[in-house]
Amino acid sequence: MDWSEIFGPDALVVLLSTSVAFAMPTALAAVGETVAERAGVLNLGLEGMLLAGALVSFLVAYYVGSVALGTVAGVAIGVVLGALMAFLSVSLRTEQIINGIAIVLVAQGITLFVFEKLFGGEEQPTIAGISDVEVPLLHDIPGVGPVVFEQNVLFYLSLALALGVSLLLTRTRFGLSVRAVGESPAAAEATAVSVARTRWLALLVCGGMAGLGGAVLVLGQLNVFEEDVSGGRGWVAIALVIFGRWNPLLVLGGAFLFGFTDALQIRVQAVSGGIASSVPTEIFGALPYVVTLAVMVAATVLAGRDAQPAALGVPFRKGVNA
Amino acid sequence: MRRKWWRAVPIWLATAVLVAGAAGCGDDDDGAGGGGEQAGGQEKVKTALVLPCATSDPWCKQGFDGAKALERRGEIDLEVTTSAPQDTAGVTRVLAQYAQGGNQLLLAHSTWQDAAFDVAEQFPDVNIATYAFELRDNVAILEEPIYQAAYLAGMLAGGITESNTIGGSAGQDVPLCHAELEAFEAGAKRVNKQVKMIDTYIGDWNDAAKGKQATQAQIDQGADVVIACGGGPATGMAQAIKEANISGFGYVGDMSSQAPKNLVGSVMYNLEPYFEAAVKDVRNDSFRPAKRYEFGLADGGVDLKLNDRYAVKEIPADVMRQMEQVKDQIASGEFKVPYEAGT
Repeated sequence: MDWSEIFGPDALVVLLSTSVAFAMPTALAAVGETVAERAGVLNLGLEGMLLAGALVSFLVAYYVGSVALGTVAGVAIGVVLGALMAFLSVSLRTEQIINGIAIVLVAQGITLFVFEKLFGGEEQPTIAGISDVEVPLLHDIPGVGPVVFEQNVLFYLSLALALGVSLLLTRTRFGLSVRAVGESPAAAEATAVSVARTRWLALLVCGGMAGLGGAVLVLGQLNVFEEDVSGGRGWVAIALVIFGRWNPLLVLGGAFLFGFTDALQIRVQAVSGGIASSVPTEIFGALPYVVTLAVMVAATVLAGRDAQPAALGVPFRKGVNA
Repeated sequence: MRRKWWRAVPIWLATAVLVAGAAGCGDDDDGAGGGGEQAGGQEKVKTALVLPCATSDPWCKQGFDGAKALERRGEIDLEVTTSAPQDTAGVTRVLAQYAQGGNQLLLAHSTWQDAAFDVAEQFPDVNIATYAFELRDNVAILEEPIYQAAYLAGMLAGGITESNTIGGSAGQDVPLCHAELEAFEAGAKRVNKQVKMIDTYIGDWNDAAKGKQATQAQIDQGADVVIACGGGPATGMAQAIKEANISGFGYVGDMSSQAPKNLVGSVMYNLEPYFEAAVKDVRNDSFRPAKRYEFGLADGGVDLKLNDRYAVKEIPADVMRQMEQVKDQIASGEFKVPYEAGT
């Protein structure tokens, strides 16, 4: 096998640019989940929010014919599901794990039901894709340019939002409130930060990011919708938050690392000749998980301290939680 | 104190989950009338079709269309479950319910051997057809020789390719897909000795994004004609060839609407003759001992359907002629496509 077909300069640029594009839906959901978890809410409904964002953005783009409106609709349905999660988990203070799983089940059932009612038994509907845009000047930067600055508009928007949300969490007053209610809600409440309001907002941001992730998957990459099109990306995103130790930039990096190893294993299979290769394909399939797990263990050992928000998963009752 | 209305929301949500669940895998019984009606002097066979996915999926659409055709001809009374649970316990429940409901024939359109054996034991009167490795007295096997059509597709691919590199991607290395990809390669090599084939197993049947990535990786390695096996891989493949403007073949159903200019044709799997034979056997009391149903190119079970909107390359006329000759030879039994199912 010729490794220069994978790691040679030209091949590497292609590999990196496709892997960052394909990792984007997972990355968006993971950064959103970081905000929710830093506020102390474990949102397991992420997969459902991705799926709902994917369906609604597809339907709007299909019937209205506008990718922009489709994207907005995808974000909107994500926000609506985020609000549902907030209502159940923050206002009613019911069990967060159950709420999240319920949202995934509802979304899986309803998206399939709606799609079947509209298109069942017919030819599979498709929408027109969007083309890549080269950013002037920036795409001439050797290495980085072709990887990051020759993508479609949705990619730039997503990257900007993911970085923006990271800044929001680490550099703003709102971000400080989010981190405070996640670590010590009683102390936050004592300094006139509303725990309920902050957690609500964090979940709306999380839902919107996951909805956008669904829209990016369907409008930016696939141009079709399918049953379970999200393919478990929401669950991977939740694992990535732990992997990134609740730090949004590390989480973003982790999502791209996972996407890279996944693209790499497919590429290695293609270069090495697939079934003709002497290495079983299952080994390639396990590669992204092994690499991610190894990095996660290394990160935890190196950091040496617990990064999990102290109040994660605990509903807040005024005067009860110490 | 008055109870606040929204205290009841979790209950409503739980109800919604149940309703959505029921809708997702709900019964699609469009009231074809009660059992036992006379149609052309024949007793209708009470039949249930259980599908692992929605009818928008190509695999499930083929099963659905096959059974619907028999219903329209008045051969059967049909009940359908779409998106049945994939786990053995879940699908056993669905099949058992239909068996209990007095259905004579259960068409289980997925690899559900364990569930079929369970139900066949519990309900010795019911007849089941599914994709299995072993026969039981009342469990028949549906074979799916789509590799025969893939061989013909491969011949065209061998004529079309300019880079002499072709590609195939599949969900997992299962006999169906292995045989399809091997036959595609063998067909291509028959007309073009220099052809090299790249195979990729993506490890997922539904993830279309990953399927697209797999095909893109093959294109980067020089592939200019590709095929896929599995719903997600095939959908992703169609999107990838459209973007790169190369050629490909659709899987199981006619996928030409997905990439009208780029799909040379589709490898078709038609369930009607399968279901027809099973229904006939039930009616004539000849279902047992159960048999393998296999309908290849000769019997209309599989076919290669060409797409007349295909516009990427000219298909060489002599290759097209050779392909049609081989098709006739397969149909007449003169030529047998080698079946390589892997290990």
